[in-house]
Amino acid sequence: MEKILGNSEIAEMIPFDLSERLLLFPVRHHSPVCSYQLVRTINEYKPDIVLIEGPENANNLIPVLTDENTKLPSAVYYYYKDSKKLVSESAEDYKCYYPFLYSSPEYNAMKQAKILGIPSEFIDLPYCDILINTAEQKGLRKNTEKHSYADDSHLTQSKFYEKICEETNVRSFDEFWEKYFEIAGIFLTPEKFVKQLHTYCIITRLETSEDEMKTDGTFARESHMSQRITEAMQKYEKVLVVTGGFHSLGIYKLISDGKIKSPKLRKIPENLHGCYPMAYSYESADALHGYASGMSFPYFYDTVINKLLESNSPENVYNNLTLDLLVQTAKQTNKKDIPVSIADITSAKTLMDGLSALRGSRECGMYELFDGVTSTFIKGEKTISSSLPLDILRKLATGKGVGFIGDKTHVPPLITDFEEQSKKFRLKIKDVIPNDIEVPLFTTQKGMELSRFLHRMEFLETDFAIMKKGPDLHNNKGRSRVREEWRYKRTPNVDASLIDHTTDGFTIEEACSTMAVKKLHDEMRCVSAAQVAVDCFLMGITLKKTELDLIDEILTADGDFFSVGKGLGFFEMLYSLQALYGFTDFSSLDYIRQCFEKLIISLPSMVNVASERADELISILKSMYSITGNILTSELPVFEQALITMTQSADKEPSVYGAVSGLLYAVDSSRRTDAETAMRGYLMGSTEIKKKGAEFLKGLFCTARDIILSDDSFLQMTDKLITEMEYDDFLEILPSMRLAFSYFTPSEIQDTAKSVAEFHSVEKKDILSTQAVDENMFVFGEELDMEICKIIGI
Amino acid sequence: MEKNLIKPPVEVRYADELELLAKYDNGKRPENWKLSPKAVRTFILGGKVKTDEGNVEISRKFYGNDALVERCIITLAGNRGLMLVGEPGTAKTMLSELLSAGCCGVSTNTVQGTAGTTEDMIKYSWNYALLLSKGPCRDALVPSPLLVGMEKGIFARFEEITRTPAEIQDSLISVMSDQILNIPELADDGFVFARPGFNIIGTANTRDKGVNEMSGALKRRFNFETVEPVKDVRLEKQIIIREAQNLAKAGHIDMPVDVDAAELLAVTYHELREGITDKGTRIDKPSAVMSTAEAVSVYYQTISHAWYYGDGQVDLNVMTENLLGAVCKENKDDLEKLKSYFRTAVKEKGKVGGLWKKYSETAKLLK
Repeated sequence: MEKILGNSEIAEMIPFDLSERLLLFPVRHHSPVCSYQLVRTINEYKPDIVLIEGPENANNLIPVLTDENTKLPSAVYYYYKDSKKLVSESAEDYKCYYPFLYSSPEYNAMKQAKILGIPSEFIDLPYCDILINTAEQKGLRKNTEKHSYADDSHLTQSKFYEKICEETNVRSFDEFWEKYFEIAGIFLTPEKFVKQLHTYCIITRLETSEDEMKTDGTFARESHMSQRITEAMQKYEKVLVVTGGFHSLGIYKLISDGKIKSPKLRKIPENLHGCYPMAYSYESADALHGYASGMSFPYFYDTVINKLLESNSPENVYNNLTLDLLVQTAKQTNKKDIPVSIADITSAKTLMDGLSALRGSRECGMYELFDGVTSTFIKGEKTISSSLPLDILRKLATGKGVGFIGDKTHVPPLITDFEEQSKKFRLKIKDVIPNDIEVPLFTTQKGMELSRFLHRMEFLETDFAIMKKGPDLHNNKGRSRVREEWRYKRTPNVDASLIDHTTDGFTIEEACSTMAVKKLHDEMRCVSAAQVAVDCFLMGITLKKTELDLIDEILTADGDFFSVGKGLGFFEMLYSLQALYGFTDFSSLDYIRQCFEKLIISLPSMVNVASERADELISILKSMYSITGNILTSELPVFEQALITMTQSADKEPSVYGAVSGLLYAVDSSRRTDAETAMRGYLMGSTEIKKKGAEFLKGLFCTARDIILSDDSFLQMTDKLITEMEYDDFLEILPSMRLAFSYFTPSEIQDTAKSVAEFHSVEKKDILSTQAVDENMFVFGEELDMEICKIIGI
Repeated sequence: MEKNLIKPPVEVRYADELELLAKYDNGKRPENWKLSPKAVRTFILGGKVKTDEGNVEISRKFYGNDALVERCIITLAGNRGLMLVGEPGTAKTMLSELLSAGCCGVSTNTVQGTAGTTEDMIKYSWNYALLLSKGPCRDALVPSPLLVGMEKGIFARFEEITRTPAEIQDSLISVMSDQILNIPELADDGFVFARPGFNIIGTANTRDKGVNEMSGALKRRFNFETVEPVKDVRLEKQIIIREAQNLAKAGHIDMPVDVDAAELLAVTYHELREGITDKGTRIDKPSAVMSTAEAVSVYYQTISHAWYYGDGQVDLNVMTENLLGAVCKENKDDLEKLKSYFRTAVKEKGKVGGLWKKYSETAKLLK
């Protein structure tokens, strides 16, 4: 292998001569050996300018990235809104990251230039122009979850590498790269190293089709970079160019042939594209590896470059760092109650040394370390559960840190506000470990403020925080809970989402307010508008008059009874919680009135609603009754009249009829006889009519269960309904009857059972099971129910 | 040793390769090893050896995980034993034989673990006639493979260690810790010290792990390697073809290998083992062991039938009948699972015609 890589004939296609005015330095993104050799080369070559592969519209961010207070991993976040349809007809929004680690050669080039007091510049096409010059599903337009500018797919997915893996007995490109470049490369002179890298990259490039390089934007980008290099050579005496190794041959040929046809740059309005510096995480830098962008184990390789740059000799750097990591893995594994002894560590180290000797590697790398841990720390069969030591090692090597942008000049104000708020509430945002926090809502003002901040971050869809427990006002459930439990975690996605909201406001509160307005503009239904109102309530954001008018318009225009009915429920909830949440919102009462008036008009026609929507209607009726009792008391007579009109309809849905009869009884107890008459009517009918009687009872007990408790007449009718029914018919009505009695309290059921027992002259104990359900069994039953609901999707 | 055996030991079967490797091996060797670790790697995983007459190809004998083989070799050069665990039929025994033959030139120094294995089978026993006539002395001692390994500085192989009762397994602990075996009956002459090169290779089926779980103390003295079934269907096909060829040669069956039929079998075993077809359809996994070794056995039976009873061509009906016998051994449900596999996956593949269509038509034999 060493012979192939050392093939001077291929490597000399691109000269590496320190006496020349132009020096092309090939790199692999995030490679410590490339950084190490690059720093040595810069110090020896002493260029007048360093040109770096990277979209040039981020040139103003170079001082931010090299600021002494900036901590890596950090990234440049590029975005482009294709509203002018220059990329495609679908007018999509595009974004990508350009991550920088301490091991990134591009970062070391900028840093070294700063130390030497010379300029450094990015020379690639601006992000939007790269997209314009790239075909669909190619390069940065590939449909992947994350886009990274630092794409190594040409190097890592070539056929050449597959052949190399076969020939060199390595498992993957990464193992090959570590063995032949990262470890072997640090012991070479920069010249020899560059020749080897050129050889690999040139062979890879010669295996890539011209069509591939045209469609993925390679040619356009290389032309532009060559143009910028030529311009720099006119201005500066010595120019050092740092690009991905794959591009070196293309750029060199273009410059030496002098046939550069740089693509014309498009004039894009400032508001449609841009770039920002942002904190990045090791975890994300590693995750990108899955998309052939950069290297795995970023934290480990960062420690490698730091060690290389601070020591005089590269000797034993890998041996020592892998040993450190081995010991850390052993410590962490022991903490997880998996015993790892000193003897195990010694045995692992012996194995690692033996393997590196067997494999012809000068020092132990990550793959020897993984092999050592696999053999010595896993006692027994290797399974998912027994592989914990490997998981620990992987996490340690990946790293959990998050970067920091020291110079805030170019940091979007939303991120600054996010960091300030996080500091104010003492939230841990310096690593990517998920944190749990309990937020008391009503004991301190700070608790409520924190809750609002977290709800705001959730509303902006940043993935920063998820509420695990607490009042679920969006579903009007759990209102009695007094605290919220949240899990939060800062990832680069949080920063990226906040950057996406940059145009929505200077603070998170402003952005939320803008987003709420945008949402309202998109909504057509009362219930959706009410949900936005709930969001604002939770976030503590007061809507302005124009937005309130917008809700007003939505309510007026919405002709869906159920949408308005549900909206009424939400507005009633917000009205009643105002004092508790310390959030005064004078608009809720108006909306309640407006919804109520709309519902009253349609109510009589709803009595023959389809049976599958009967429960929703009953719920709305209960809300309306509740509102007439405490908020709109003057509307009670109107409501009562509407109910009476409903009972007079010829075609009535039985459960709705039951609920209406119950409500009328609640308004005026003398109407009990009307309900009794209605029930008798069902009892006198055919079997099919009797079955509807069960539905009637369900509705009746839902709104007025005390009707059965005042005397025995309803109970006797219920008893008659059940006893006169055939067994199969009884089974049919059983679900409705069970639901009907679910509105009763346990003691009421006991009393009812006692009365029924007396009708049949039997003891209560003979018909009522008194044995308590075991608590664990009950919990198990609940969990089972939830699982079933999940499976059947309800 | 005579080569005309059903299964000659590895060191006899590959004597030429071992000799060649030893001759041109310039690497450093652990004391008493016949080959250097690099040469052992080449012996097991194949490669080229530079000789005076040019490069000579060494055949690959173990497929799947090259890094695992490397770890095994380095483990054996150290002070810990090697324990190979995994599903039945994943070539654990073959690997331990290859390692023994490669490193020590001997693969037959073996203890076969069973429920009836006793401590004297692991340590030593006596020739009672000599014991009675001469009293306790070295002549009357019958050394176990472990004792032989210690004295000669070679590996002792312990097959199916978890079938052996736990207390018997634990008799290895002191030997592995102290590298010494005390024979009290021989008084002062009773100390046997292990010579450099001695080590132990154990194998254990993960399906048997519940029978006699190894103690923590013993586990600590081994490095564990999990040998997994071959994940690549193409590789599995190659293994079936190669092993069947070897078996056929040993059985004097002079018949060309039917590559397409081997592929059918490789795909069938792979899909039933993984519980998913190449189209992504989930299928029920049989409880029977669906190893590559079983597939080789089914294929060998099929070609034997063709050689002795048929026209020298693989008959898919016979292959399906053999498959039925191999899969449906213990659990009645396995028959239904196999039928279901033929009804769904095989039938689907048969839609394009060819051999798969003929194969799907043999489903009627699954009763």
